Amino acid sequence: MFEIIRKTLRTGSQTINYPQEPDEAPPGFRGKPELFQSRCTCCGECVSVCPPSVIWLKEENGEKTLTISYCGCIFCGRCEEVCPHGAIKLTQEYELASKTKDDLLARIGWRS
Amino acid sequence: MTVEDEIEIMGQRLNDRINKIFGRSLHIREVDAGSCNACEVEVTALSNPVYDIERFGLHIVASPRHADMLLVTGPVTRNMELALLKTYNAVPSPKLVAAMGSCACNGGIFGDTYASGGGVDRFIPVDVYIPGCPPRPGAVIFGIMVALDKLEQKIRKKEVRA
Repeated sequence: MFEIIRKTLRTGSQTINYPQEPDEAPPGFRGKPELFQSRCTCCGECVSVCPPSVIWLKEENGEKTLTISYCGCIFCGRCEEVCPHGAIKLTQEYELASKTKDDLLARIGWRS
Repeated sequence: MTVEDEIEIMGQRLNDRINKIFGRSLHIREVDAGSCNACEVEVTALSNPVYDIERFGLHIVASPRHADMLLVTGPVTRNMELALLKTYNAVPSPKLVAAMGSCACNGGIFGDTYASGGGVDRFIPVDVYIPGCPPRPGAVIFGIMVALDKLEQKIRKKEVRA
């Protein structure tokens, strides 16, 4: 019993002060995928590999739009792997909660 | 009046508002609507010494009748559909619903198939979506904070109507 008390006192408080101080995700953590407008060519590689199909390509009047919905994204990182131009990158950001599904959409446009 | 006094008064007002809205605490009922158990592991991690949600007055309770908020995980399978609706009806109003994990948001990896409902919002109204597969405990805390803002709005709407 003495050992347990000594260990408890030595360990101290382990609670992180999360909402007041940011809690950084460890390196290698797969968070919010980010799209880079300047590098994307709208080839559609990421659209075909996405397991839950949350990336889609829309063509309207010669303007292509690539949309990704974080709502339903499983953060597998396949899109980042297959992208030939590095236009999609997974970041460390994980605070994605939102009240509407529309807030969880990210778009980039590309005019041919 | 000095700046410190003003800050103190503001803090006091904020505290009063929080106390008025949810009596200093929020009770959460976790519903597993056919998830793979990864989200449940993260919910368990919420009450460990590192994240410790009890310090915010958030408690995970054993009955929907004690709860103010439903934390739904999983894509709502055919077998859990009725159970989820019954749980939702058992929670006293005003109630909140948080869809935790990508499956609960829109089906995720299970999608919209014969046995999978494809998202909680097809069955019950959802107040906050917490994406992640599974979301980190920090992301869940953030989601609950987003949801609490909503609760305030709901109560205000009721006051305006009355």
